[in-house]
Amino acid sequence: MAKYYDIDDIITEEEIVSVIFQKPASGVGIDPSSETDFIETGSKVELPFWLAHELQLRQAVSVNVPPCFNQKTRLEIQADSASVDLRSRCPFFYEFGCKIAPIVSDRTIGFLLLSAFKSRYKEVLTKAHTAAFAAGSKFWTILTKEEINLYEAAQSAMISFKKWRKGGPRFQIASILGRKRKSTE
Amino acid sequence: MAGQSDAELSLFSAEELEFIAEDEIVDIVPNLKMGPLNFISGDFGPFIPQIVAQVPLWLAVALKKRGKCSICPPQWMSVDKLTQVLEAERNSQEMSEQLPFHYVEISRLLFDHAHDDIPDAYMVSIKMVLPCRIMPWGFFKCFALLSSVQVRSLIEDIRDVRFHKVETDLEAFNGRTIAVKIKNLSAMEVNIVRPFIGRALQAFYKHDSPELIPDPERVPDRRPQVVQNAPRRQLRR
Repeated sequence: MAKYYDIDDIITEEEIVSVIFQKPASGVGIDPSSETDFIETGSKVELPFWLAHELQLRQAVSVNVPPCFNQKTRLEIQADSASVDLRSRCPFFYEFGCKIAPIVSDRTIGFLLLSAFKSRYKEVLTKAHTAAFAAGSKFWTILTKEEINLYEAAQSAMISFKKWRKGGPRFQIASILGRKRKSTE
Repeated sequence: MAGQSDAELSLFSAEELEFIAEDEIVDIVPNLKMGPLNFISGDFGPFIPQIVAQVPLWLAVALKKRGKCSICPPQWMSVDKLTQVLEAERNSQEMSEQLPFHYVEISRLLFDHAHDDIPDAYMVSIKMVLPCRIMPWGFFKCFALLSSVQVRSLIEDIRDVRFHKVETDLEAFNGRTIAVKIKNLSAMEVNIVRPFIGRALQAFYKHDSPELIPDPERVPDRRPQVVQNAPRRQLRR
């Protein structure tokens, strides 16, 4: 419950996963393709993660591995992890992976996350502390939220150091004071 | 300021580090006569004209601003010493231990407030280099020494080299190594990389936790546990 108010955590749990119902359910309108409000056993429905998780705890559904952890993505990450566009696949790749791994009982997801982060971390590290790097570049657009946080932490530290080294006025006059003086003149 | 809005990573800003660095002791040559000053941190003085006294940097800067003293730059802030340090830094992956912990802050403070004192200190080294004039490039070498610009750029170079070393050291992080030992890191260098390292280590810790990468034996008894929990909770209600 520590992350109850964490907006990133909420968005992560909004991620859609596909599930297969193990029990029939009636009176639920969660499957837009079905004509009645009845869901048969074995039907495949796409649900947000938070709902799928609760249903899975009650053994009503079984959760499939989401597309961002499929074989194709894995191969791409193995080939050249630094240039894979993880953001378009899932902006909260790592957080979502941590949540989904115990549910789909796929042990390889943990390894995938660690190896992907390990190799992408180096890429972020080499670029993060050079302030000359423009924010609008291509590199920026393929990072996941967690990597962007890391990148921004390094950038802001570097920028504040550079600002300090350049010097400038130490004590800034509050804008309201400046205005007051002008009006009297 | 880096991370000040983030309560989890409580950090120093560069200005705060500068404040801490102002407690370092420097030598000054006062040109006023004044009795000793008694502060909580100790007694400084008495101040007698042309007699070297040791004071904290903040006091030295305050006196300097009023034109009451000249600051003797510390020994390491000489072209000779700095060239030596730069050479040493370039030659090995180890961080050199010849610079003080607050060298970035101290050098900046001295450049800002006492930069007219810095070239004076190099008259000595200029005299030493003068024989080089016999050689064709010697003249240019002397010429460059005449300003504090060289000290400044030397310190910049040293800082860049050292920072690059820190970055290559940090590349060694992966899930298994949870710590990297870097000796003789200075205050400002630590401060710059701190938010990055903090977050990176948190992420590595999270992704390397045994829950995500489990021992093969432990997995089978974990999953049913979760399933059993659900009905039990319902009974309690």
